[in-house]
Amino acid sequence: MKRYLFLLLLSLPAMISAQTIFDRPLSDRITGYDITSILDPVRHTVTGEMTAWWVNKSDKPVNDAMLHMYLNAFSSNKSSFASDGQWSPAGDEGWGYVMIKSIVDGHANDLKNAMRFVSPDDGNIYDRTVLQITLPVPVMPGDTLKLRIVYESKLPSPIIRTGYNEDFYFIGQWFPKFGVYETAGMRQREADGWNCHQFHPHSEFYSDYSVYNVSVTMPVEFVVSSGGILIEETDNGDSTKTIKWRAEDIVDFAWTAWPGYQVAKKKWRGVDITLLTSEKGFKVADNQFTAAINALEYLDARVGPYPWPHLTVVDPPVTGSGAGGMEYTTLFTSAGGGMVPSFLKMSESVTVHEFGHAYFMGILASNEFEEPWLDEGVNSYWEQRIVDASYGDGYGCFNLPFLKLSDSDQGRTSYISNPSKQSATNDLPSWMYPHDTYDMMSYSKTAVWLHTLEGLIGTQTMDNIFREYYRRWAFRHPSGRDFIAVVNDVVKNELGDRYGENMNWYFDQVLYGNEICDYRLSGIKNHKIRSYSGIVDGDSVTFKRSDRSGDTTYLSTVSIERAGGIMLPVKVLVHFDNGDEKTEEWDGKARYKDFEYTGTRQVTWAKIDPFDEIDLDVNRINNSWTENPRFTAARRMTDKFVYLMQMMISILTI
Amino acid sequence: MWIITLVMIMLVALPLKSSFKSVFDHSMAMEKLSGGFDAGLAGDMGKSFGQLMSSASTGGLLLVMAGFLLYTFFAGGLFTRFTTAWGGLKPTAFMKASTQNFVPFLKIALLMCLIIFFYTSLIIGLPAGIMLAVSEGSIPQTGLMIIFYVIWVLGLPVWLSVADYSRRWIAATGSRLAFRALGAGFRALGKRFWLSYFTVLVILILNVMFVCGSMWFTAWSVPQKGLMIFLFFLATQLLFLVRLFMKAWRYATVSQLAAGLKV
Repeated sequence: MKRYLFLLLLSLPAMISAQTIFDRPLSDRITGYDITSILDPVRHTVTGEMTAWWVNKSDKPVNDAMLHMYLNAFSSNKSSFASDGQWSPAGDEGWGYVMIKSIVDGHANDLKNAMRFVSPDDGNIYDRTVLQITLPVPVMPGDTLKLRIVYESKLPSPIIRTGYNEDFYFIGQWFPKFGVYETAGMRQREADGWNCHQFHPHSEFYSDYSVYNVSVTMPVEFVVSSGGILIEETDNGDSTKTIKWRAEDIVDFAWTAWPGYQVAKKKWRGVDITLLTSEKGFKVADNQFTAAINALEYLDARVGPYPWPHLTVVDPPVTGSGAGGMEYTTLFTSAGGGMVPSFLKMSESVTVHEFGHAYFMGILASNEFEEPWLDEGVNSYWEQRIVDASYGDGYGCFNLPFLKLSDSDQGRTSYISNPSKQSATNDLPSWMYPHDTYDMMSYSKTAVWLHTLEGLIGTQTMDNIFREYYRRWAFRHPSGRDFIAVVNDVVKNELGDRYGENMNWYFDQVLYGNEICDYRLSGIKNHKIRSYSGIVDGDSVTFKRSDRSGDTTYLSTVSIERAGGIMLPVKVLVHFDNGDEKTEEWDGKARYKDFEYTGTRQVTWAKIDPFDEIDLDVNRINNSWTENPRFTAARRMTDKFVYLMQMMISILTI
Repeated sequence: MWIITLVMIMLVALPLKSSFKSVFDHSMAMEKLSGGFDAGLAGDMGKSFGQLMSSASTGGLLLVMAGFLLYTFFAGGLFTRFTTAWGGLKPTAFMKASTQNFVPFLKIALLMCLIIFFYTSLIIGLPAGIMLAVSEGSIPQTGLMIIFYVIWVLGLPVWLSVADYSRRWIAATGSRLAFRALGAGFRALGKRFWLSYFTVLVILILNVMFVCGSMWFTAWSVPQKGLMIFLFFLATQLLFLVRLFMKAWRYATVSQLAAGLKV
């Protein structure tokens, strides 16, 4: 009986994989996983067995394999993830781990004794999130390595990204998974080798596109969903059910289970969108659908098509809030649906952002560990564009008559107001950012300089850059240098030599440099051109009546300074008292520049960057100068403050 | 009361306005605030923004404390005016009455604030805390909390009536004993409970509606031209005067209700 059961289990993946999503693969599908598992809600474990395969696409034999064992980040307080104190278990049951109970290769070699944990990023001997296996039989070029693994994954609590809380489960990074074997030249790499990073507080995604056949058995009361499509659901007749999913051409597979989930569905073009949410979130389900569809439409039109026929949006309940704001390409988690006032588009912003990762990391599978800006930063830039275009007439965060904030300004503020913004460059690996600057640098600064780039080269060219980036690199692993190469090609093609031979000068400053940008309009002067009079060499120069005509002409000077280290071409709009306006262009390289005008008109005001295109400028207040400043807003705010105080006093006094 | 309050607040507001203007100096960036405060500018203001916010909140707190004392002082004169001098009170007599009643009125005001604080903690804080604990961090169910808010509002006239009856008793008797006055206040309320309760409830509801309406008007009005801003200032001050009259109306009504009661 056991033999039949074993044979049945062996044949299951093959039976499942008979059903496919795409006729033609979207990616190379270098790796694949057939997983059979059981969720035990008493022990909070997922146990089972899996067959994982990896194809050696290089032209050399490979002697080892490297696997992510990311749940081990929760196995001790000395892992690189937990050692900074950002996570502690909820009692002794809160620890998490992934344990390999047995592992054999396709030649039936037992590999258990060939395993060792390594820490390529920080040498932390207590970190057990990367496993290296020395293979007894090298994998020859073109050959496939198959590993049969029996594993046990204990889920952590409280949830950070993955784990459980009571009967809520969000299960990500839960099985042994291959790193990426990079060949020489790929992402500017010099020699072949595995790229497999430890699990860090700020990064977790860099994997190959895979095919997943996943079968999970669990109690019937759980409502579940995953990043795959549902192939089959079977009631086992013993209060358990078995769910079978298949996913293709995604870099990670996550799933969630909770008895309290409410499910809503919507279709956008060919995409079936499923929303799993709490009772409270269900009441505002349309907001989540609208946000997801806004993002789908925007990115589909400006970057490239969303290729999968399915998308799962999870809005976790409060008990599972630690799982909020995560991305697994065809499944992502939002946050706070129904929990915040409707004028705040916080939940919608999270939905747009996390969906955006389907493109920036999902379709364009950059390395989040080594180049987080290319993942989170590029995605934040698109999130801000989408949110500001979709909500509040450009003020996507909130737009009240007395208070407003755009999503892009929200990101810009977090950059310009951070005192450590010059402490590092923007190209560091995620775990190397000093002084808590990771979020500000990876998310905010990148988005700010991408908005600035858009301001320089125009929105149309910017969109074309991303279309080309998608065309060249979809379902591959681009690096930052690859992205810059796309920028250089598209800008050269569309704008010629307007910005020089290439745009490297820009990236050298904003990405690989740590200077700030601050242009300052230091003042305006209007001097009358005087008739010539005075004492020269002791002789008095006599007053000539005809010279009085000179008193009606002016020498006007607009003085500009470059207070920051970043040099960008800037525009200056100069306004004269007769209504004339002139737009000056300056290469922005010198420390100062004076624009001079002679004539009967006087300069009344001038503005650097008149259309607020240089988001990088850390102080926009000093970008303009007027002879007649208007303080009506200050008067209005003072009046409101006075009335507010009057009412406060009258209310608080009985 | 109005003019003193206005001058007092201006002592804080005008320096704040000057600081705000000095941040912008000759810049045109303030024009971005013409349609309401663009929070994106806060970052550009740098440390000045934090300093302004800090000054505004500290100044506001001091103003509330000073205002509390000032209004308590004037309440002394008002209750005398509505108790023993219906025909009118000369300014000197008004100020004298305010001065005489100040200490016991302040004690009563502080005691009532304390009572209302505990009452609020009991009716709103406790249920909200329990719901927060039960739902493990979730925001309390709004529907259920509304019931507690209603209960809180319905209970409030009781405390306001006691405060007003107590102060009226001091104005009428000339006593300086705050605790005895509170006792008299409770007894007076007990003798004419329903009439007092519903009268104060109606006045309270009208006050709440007026405050909410005027605050809504102030918050959502965004005048942009000089003349409109001046008219806006006049409108807010007119609204505040109405608010002062409504407060005095409650004092007068309760004082009138207490007339003839032996407590």
